[in-house]
Amino acid sequence: MKRLITTAVLALMALAVTHAIASAQDATEVMKKSHMAYYYAANDAVYEVTMHLFDKKGGERTREFTMLRLDKEDGGDQKYYTYFRQPSDVARLSFMVHKNATGNDQRWIYVPSVDLVKPISADDKNSSFVGSDFTYEDVSGRRWTEDNHKLLPESQLDGKAVFVVESTPLKPYKGFAKRISYIDQTTHIPLKSEYFDDKGEVVRVEKAVKIEDIGGFPTVTSRSMESLKKGSRTVVDFTGTKYNVGLKDDFFTERYLKTPPREYVK
Amino acid sequence: MKAQMFLAALVVIILAGAGRAEVNIDGFLQGLYGGRLDNTNPTATEFTASESRLQLRLEQVGEKNEVFGRLDFTYDAADSARFDVELREAYLKTRLGDNFDLKIGRQVLTWGTGDLIFINDVFAKDYQSFFVGRDDQYLKAPQNALRAEYYGSVGSLALIWTPRFEPNRLPDGRTLSYFNPFVGQIVGQGYDASVPLPPAQFKNGEIAARFSRQVGGFNTALYAYHGFYKNPMGAMMTAGGPMPIFPRLNVYGASLRGQVLGGIVWLEGGYFDSRQDQCGANPLLPNASATAMLGFERQVATNLTVNGQWQAEAMMEYDRYKTGQASLGGYVRDEISHLLTTRITQLLHSELVTLSAFVFYSPSDEDLYARLYAGYKYTDEVAFAVGANIFDGQNQAANFGQFQKNDNVYIKVTFNY
Repeated sequence: MKRLITTAVLALMALAVTHAIASAQDATEVMKKSHMAYYYAANDAVYEVTMHLFDKKGGERTREFTMLRLDKEDGGDQKYYTYFRQPSDVARLSFMVHKNATGNDQRWIYVPSVDLVKPISADDKNSSFVGSDFTYEDVSGRRWTEDNHKLLPESQLDGKAVFVVESTPLKPYKGFAKRISYIDQTTHIPLKSEYFDDKGEVVRVEKAVKIEDIGGFPTVTSRSMESLKKGSRTVVDFTGTKYNVGLKDDFFTERYLKTPPREYVK
Repeated sequence: MKAQMFLAALVVIILAGAGRAEVNIDGFLQGLYGGRLDNTNPTATEFTASESRLQLRLEQVGEKNEVFGRLDFTYDAADSARFDVELREAYLKTRLGDNFDLKIGRQVLTWGTGDLIFINDVFAKDYQSFFVGRDDQYLKAPQNALRAEYYGSVGSLALIWTPRFEPNRLPDGRTLSYFNPFVGQIVGQGYDASVPLPPAQFKNGEIAARFSRQVGGFNTALYAYHGFYKNPMGAMMTAGGPMPIFPRLNVYGASLRGQVLGGIVWLEGGYFDSRQDQCGANPLLPNASATAMLGFERQVATNLTVNGQWQAEAMMEYDRYKTGQASLGGYVRDEISHLLTTRITQLLHSELVTLSAFVFYSPSDEDLYARLYAGYKYTDEVAFAVGANIFDGQNQAANFGQFQKNDNVYIKVTFNY
């Protein structure tokens, strides 16, 4: 009898372990697919972006820019180019990121009023993107390999079936201690992400406000991020998004940093 | 002034005449008010700045061409009530084929790796603006130039021709005092600070070249310059006594910049060939020198960036210089002159508040210059700033020491449109 119980317990434990491993694999697979759907749609993209920054008193600031993206390979290195139009004190300023999927990114800024090209030390991916509630990492994505993932019970969000994934950073990270993502089971677009601090409190909540099909790619055309402690909120609207337009690698060099490719940046 | 008005009108006409294409117009309105802190400053006014400025920017872009104009209208109450118009930029940028860009007209030019210190960047600076709290963009004075750049697989080659020499803009005693070597002391108004430009001849133009190439994670570059010292570093004897001049100069240099240790590192060097006095025999002309700089910048915490630079300038034929200075009774600098700088920038409150300090300190000249700044973006349109420029030095003839009476604080209000 005793042996039977021991065997049963061992079998159950083995089952639990296998299940946990399978779940971790599933969770990682979900996060990888989500990362691909969200940050690597098509091979390149042109976005017209309007960012609305709301402070806790309801005051609003706006940032308008064109963003170009080129993928070297799916899930791998990427290049980003941003050309600002508004507000007028940063108009014509351009900004470039060579995202290294497994190492440090490289960033450059061009300040036209002094004709200055300057690399920016990009150690901290967790700093704010142009003063908004989004970080640099939110803009270009946090690679799925940097966190441990665990599937929580599936759920429904806005009438859609979602995977619920809990992620904890492999290495201590000041961006978050835990993140819970709600991922659309059909499109793998993250519909909502909650970022927790080390006290277990939700500090930031990201939502996909509007999703449209563009050229066969489900695309988030409005996205929001709320910083609960600061009381601020940022809404980003993407208009005129185009995929696979044939951006050249050259566009992501100093030459085009100084004079944007006008075919795409009017 | 007349020429500038004419050019300004021309830009407006060209842009307006472009008709069909859309012209973007923006700019800002700004008030800058600053006062000196030292009562013994021999300048004519207590104000280091009291100016209202309207900047108008016009831009028209096409697929291959771009026309850009930047016009400044200023009313300066600190400087005997003067109204002024300056054409800061007016250029046409065009792409010729796949590998060639051209930029023609009045433009601001920058290259090299230093943060507010320059070796191979022998383009015009405006230190008068820099010292009274004008925006960073005013440190660079425009040049009328033709810039051609070729982008090939080995690297890119830029050539800049400035037909008429454009000198640095320096304090002239009206709102900021300076050391006048002919008088032997710090002076304010009442001394003629104008220096004759080299005659407007083809051979007196400036030529600057840069070849740059990405090597691994580093951007490397070679530079050459043919023209004149941008400051009136020399003098020549005339019947009426010594007269300041811009001596002829060639510069050859190289630089490297890239990501190291989670930050950015830069290294730059240049040789200043004093063409009219290569052997250092004439005490009225600068000796040749070799300068090297090393810098490192890193974000040490979220929104807190710190950098540091070290520059060393070695004078050639130092013994001759020393003998020469002794005969003139002037200030004798060290053979190797060191300069240390640091910048600390803290962004607060969703990047709406900027606190920044930049300090230049030379242990060789025993002088320093500190720039303190606090800015607040109240809305997307309205911004406030206060700042201070502090100089100190043991010797009134040294680089920053000569400005020791110019300590000033300022307030600035900007409306962007």
